[in-house]
Amino acid sequence: MTTPLSTTSSDLELMEHADGELADADADAAARIARDPDARAKVEAIQQVGELVRGHLELSADAVHDARFASMWRRIDDQLVAPATGLWARVTAWFDHYRGHVITGAVSAGVVAALALVLRPSAHDAGAPGLGAAAIDVRPVALRATPEIDALDTPGGSSTVINLDDEDGHTTVIWVTPADTVEGI
Amino acid sequence: MNKAGERASIPSHGRDPVDDRELVLAAQRGDRDAFKTLFERYHRRAYALAFGVLRHQDDAMDVVQDAFIKAHRYLDKFEGSSSFYTWLYRIVMNLAIDQLRKHRRARPVELDEERIENDGDNPLLPRILGGNPGRALLDKQIRNRIDQALDQLSDNHRSVLVMRELEGLSYEAMAEAMGCSKGTIMSRLFHARRNMQKRLLDLIDNPSAALVDDLTGGQAREDDAAEPARDNDSPRKRVPAARSR
Repeated sequence: MTTPLSTTSSDLELMEHADGELADADADAAARIARDPDARAKVEAIQQVGELVRGHLELSADAVHDARFASMWRRIDDQLVAPATGLWARVTAWFDHYRGHVITGAVSAGVVAALALVLRPSAHDAGAPGLGAAAIDVRPVALRATPEIDALDTPGGSSTVINLDDEDGHTTVIWVTPADTVEGI
Repeated sequence: MNKAGERASIPSHGRDPVDDRELVLAAQRGDRDAFKTLFERYHRRAYALAFGVLRHQDDAMDVVQDAFIKAHRYLDKFEGSSSFYTWLYRIVMNLAIDQLRKHRRARPVELDEERIENDGDNPLLPRILGGNPGRALLDKQIRNRIDQALDQLSDNHRSVLVMRELEGLSYEAMAEAMGCSKGTIMSRLFHARRNMQKRLLDLIDNPSAALVDDLTGGQAREDDAAEPARDNDSPRKRVPAARSR
């Protein structure tokens, strides 16, 4: 006997029917399958493959000796941790859960800090051509021009300023005389 | 021995959901005995799933162990919107798929993912094994053949087949679990079943010669001509109708 083979598109429909995936709107398809002995045979074949696979795997699971699962439970039990209740336990649990994020963040921050240190302009770079020209000269004013004092305000007294230029350079002499000074007291 | 096709020793989906909920609540409060009861209730079922996908006993045991440890670790996040086992099998399935990705062996890559519409040359087969696959599972030789057939499926085809047949997952749920489209799932499932049937061809009761020719490309008759005194232990002895044409 030769079994007529239907097209694959209808086989797909048969599979959906066998798996209960045909929508209610496809009631026509279900009725058509019910009327077609070949289609019913294929649906039955799909279900048989399912029964074979399911039965075989369940028997395979049953065949594993209890001792192996008992041993597995002992290993599991060794690794079970009590639920986190205290604050520290919760912090630890949070860290465990987000360990990856924390480490990633810390590494990123470290890299940024290292880059900032490496790229920071050093004192040596200040005199480098091109860099010094654009930089602001921040030397103290006193080192650029010698200050010269012409007068000194001295509340509660009087002052005299004398500037002298000689061979050693420039000398300033300041006389301060307090007011109401009584000589000899 | 179990009556095949039934789930005698492995708890069925959603069994004692109230008890499970109470056990989960107790385990969330730190009751290890409650968690052990959940383990005892579902470890074989979880193992069957992992073994079906991975096809390796030790790998499957590792996955089940890791799954229970992970389930306990995240038990406080389990809100009970699904059954405990549904939650557990998702963990098992994720770990098993991860394991497959990590240790992917050289397997045939399925090239048929998205072209079932035009694959008219490979239809589903009609009924096999008479009407009682359960009885067939008592035959060690047949079980070995099923093992071989499962081994020969690609990882993706086998994963979908196992999820569907063992857990009864919908196409949508499988698509979510495997991170692909529903169409891809349907294609994988179709080809997985088709390939299983093809590899169990010799178990078909009285197939027509045309059917055997269709599936073997006429190879069977050529083999007969070249090798008339085939080993009597060969599974092909089960298809006398195909030889007699």
